[in-house]
Parts: sequence; C-alpha cells; structure tokens
Amino acid sequence: MKADKDKCIACKRCFPYCPMGRIQTFHRHAEIPGRVYIEIDQDKCTDCSMCVRANICPVNALYQPVEEWPREIRGILSNPLIEFKGSQVPGRGTEEMKTNDVKGTFLPGEVGVGVELGRPGLGSYFKDVEIVAMALMGANIGYQLAEENPVTHFMADKTTGKIRDDVLGEKATSAIIEGKCKLEKLPQALKALQEAADKVDTVFTVEVITKVTPDGEVPIKAVLEESGFWYSINSKNNLGLGLPSFKFYDD
Amino acid sequence: MTHSLHRRGDYESLKDDFVVLGCPATGVNKPGSAPKTQNFLSICYKHGPINLGDMKTGNIYNTTMDDILASVTDGTIVQCTFDNRDKIVALLTELKERRPGISVIISGVTDVVQQCMHEAGLGPIHSLEYSLGTWGKTERLPGYAVLKLLTMCGHAMIATDLVGKMVRDIKRGRRTIRSCVVEMAQCCTCGNFNLTRGEKIFQEVLSTYMVDSLY
Repeated sequence: MKADKDKCIACKRCFPYCPMGRIQTFHRHAEIPGRVYIEIDQDKCTDCSMCVRANICPVNALYQPVEEWPREIRGILSNPLIEFKGSQVPGRGTEEMKTNDVKGTFLPGEVGVGVELGRPGLGSYFKDVEIVAMALMGANIGYQLAEENPVTHFMADKTTGKIRDDVLGEKATSAIIEGKCKLEKLPQALKALQEAADKVDTVFTVEVITKVTPDGEVPIKAVLEESGFWYSINSKNNLGLGLPSFKFYDD
Repeated sequence: MTHSLHRRGDYESLKDDFVVLGCPATGVNKPGSAPKTQNFLSICYKHGPINLGDMKTGNIYNTTMDDILASVTDGTIVQCTFDNRDKIVALLTELKERRPGISVIISGVTDVVQQCMHEAGLGPIHSLEYSLGTWGKTERLPGYAVLKLLTMCGHAMIATDLVGKMVRDIKRGRRTIRSCVVEMAQCCTCGNFNLTRGEKIFQEVLSTYMVDSLY
C-alpha cells in the first residue's frame, strides 16, 4: 500500500485500521509549504488493502500499486479478496477438510497438519515460514505438502521445505503450510513444530485434521492426550452432506 | 484456509458462536455449483444468521443479501454466522431434508455441534479439525479479551489499534458498542464476525482495557 504524497494530509485516520500496527511515518512535502504526508513502511506492509477497504481516507490518498514478483505475493496471501490461481480458493490456503466428504483428502489413518504463521496482527516473513516448513520436512515423518497451497508453490525444494531465496524477505499477514502424514507420526510432527516455535520471530497457529470414524471416534484425540498437547474446545466440523460422497470404507 | 477455526474464548463465550460454511469441491462438484450454493445461502438466510457473506463480495454489513446471492458463481465459498443454538438445529434439520449437494462445515464448540447434529437427525461429525493453539512469540500478541475479538476475523483484518480506538471513542461518548461491532463486521469481509458475541466481549474489554496512547 502507498499513500499519494500529493493528496495525503496526514490526518492519521487510516492508522488504526492497519492490521500490522503503526507502520507509518510523517514527512514534510518538499513542494507544498506546510504540507505533511505519511509514508507507509513498505517492508512491514503486507498489501492487505484493509486501509483502502475501510474507506476512511478523506482525500483518497491510499492506493495499491500493481506489484511485480516477488512482492505481489504479499497481496495474494494477505488480501482475502484475491484468489490464488493455484488453489482456486480466495485467501491463503486450500479447501483442506472442508471438502473431505467429497474428495477424501484425509483418509482414515492419516492426519492433516496445518501451520498458519503471522496471525493475528503480527504477520510473518517467509524466512520464518521456511524455518517451520523445513522443521516439518526435516522430521522425516513422510509429511506430504498440499500441492495446491500457495506456500508450497513458493518452495524451491519441496522435499526439504526450502523457500525460494527471492521470496524469503517478503511478508504476509498470514501464510499457511498445509499437508498430511500418518497418524502415528503426529507426535513427531508436533515436536518438530515445538522446536521451530523457539526459532521464529512471530506466532503460528497449529491445526490438525482427522476423519471421524462412523462410530463417532476422533482418532487424533487419544494421540493428542497421550502426547500432552492442548487442543481447543471449538473445532471445524465437516457434516458429510456433500455429494457425491467419497467412499472411505469398503462396506 | 482456517479462518473460522482459531476463535479464542471459553465455553460460555463460544457456546453460541457458530460459523456455517458452504463449500463446493474443486475437481468434483464445483462445475455447476452456483445454484446449489445459492440454495444453501437462501436456506441459511431463512434461519436468521447474525452475519452472512462471501469473501469476494462482502457480507450483509457491506452489501445486500441480493448482491451476495447474485454474485455467487461456481466455486464461491459462502459463510453464515449464527448466535443461537436452536437456529443451528433448525438449519441442520432443513439441510438434512434438502441436501444442498455442496459440503457443509460448522465451526463451533465440538460437543455442541455434535449435539445439534444428533438433534437434527444427522449422524456423527464426518471430519474434524482441531486448533492446537498459538505457538511462538505469543508475548507479542495483545491481551486475551482483545484476542477474542480479533480472532473472530480469521483473515486477521481487524486491527488491535482499531479496538483501542473504539474503546477510547466509546469511553468519550462518541460511539456506541453496536456501531463498533458493525464496523468490525465490515472489516471482516467473509461474514464470520459474530456481532452478538462481539457486543458481549466489548463490554468486558471496556471495563478492563486502558488506552495508554494512540498516536
């Protein structure tokens, strides 16, 4: 995001709308006497366009320039209105368990493990995304990355989780690493993430996905409790109403 | 995409907070899904959601229901937020009868969602996603009460400073809590923000949250 210095009057009305916090600085206009304008820190801004959508600027000074690679990925991941063409889903991730009843993405015995970096309100540079991705891939648990996920597309080496060098300095409001492994490998995956948590300069949320058995048993519950990992009382639940239904069991 | 999963709060705060999503599956039932999604949205609307929208068009606090319905295309993911358990049971009962064909997902307290499904005559949950919380530099996050508000927008479009400004404005008599939660709902394009819950949390925040300095 940028503020047009010829229009901006430094009224500060846009400041509180920025999810990244106070990332603006004041400057004196060289050609208009007495005029002060703001500049948005281009390193910290994630191009989410929230300030523009808030429609708060009285002089229409805020605008989103067309960005070239690699900066364009900031908007792709941070602006919820932009669709990543690889996943064909607006936002940062994939359909993951939302369509598991139809696609069978997560089969019995498998567990989806997702890590979302930067949310809420901190954002994440891709160098931190790389730390977490390489921790998961380096744990030797057979973690399979979701092919259609944007972060997967930005990897130079999908076997190690190494992110392209030209992307490492970019920042997103949030970026999600998505994939799956075998259920018995879940404790190792979470241990790897615990170690990565000490190395990153941001926060990340961790989510795990499972197919519930026809008897209503949640297979990951016992694994999480035995391993001592906290999980929230609220969850995301696929009701199984999608058609055609994926056949999970022979009978 | 996990934008309705990581809502923070205890049981009392979350038990009447439900986000219902309708999602066609890429590569399976996405082609020709627009009428099914519109049908799903219409059913949801009938049961009185507190918020409703789709990511690209906006929600009912940014635009109109007619606009949202008309903007649905093949592949549109829609979300409806409810603040009442009884409405969810009634909605699920109707969805069971008039199966929309696209995948239906509910974010909420797991036990409450499962109870609602049983009461509606549906079986157990099909697939489930747990949040294991927030890891890393959590000391950089705002306080818990503010987090409860912020995490209702899963795309993190509600800024911490906006909450601070709203608290200051309310304390100075410039704004009402209602106008603040409506504005938060406008920031959260998808329609995931629960205004009823937001008002309750704002009451808590008002009594405890001090604005030291804001610009």
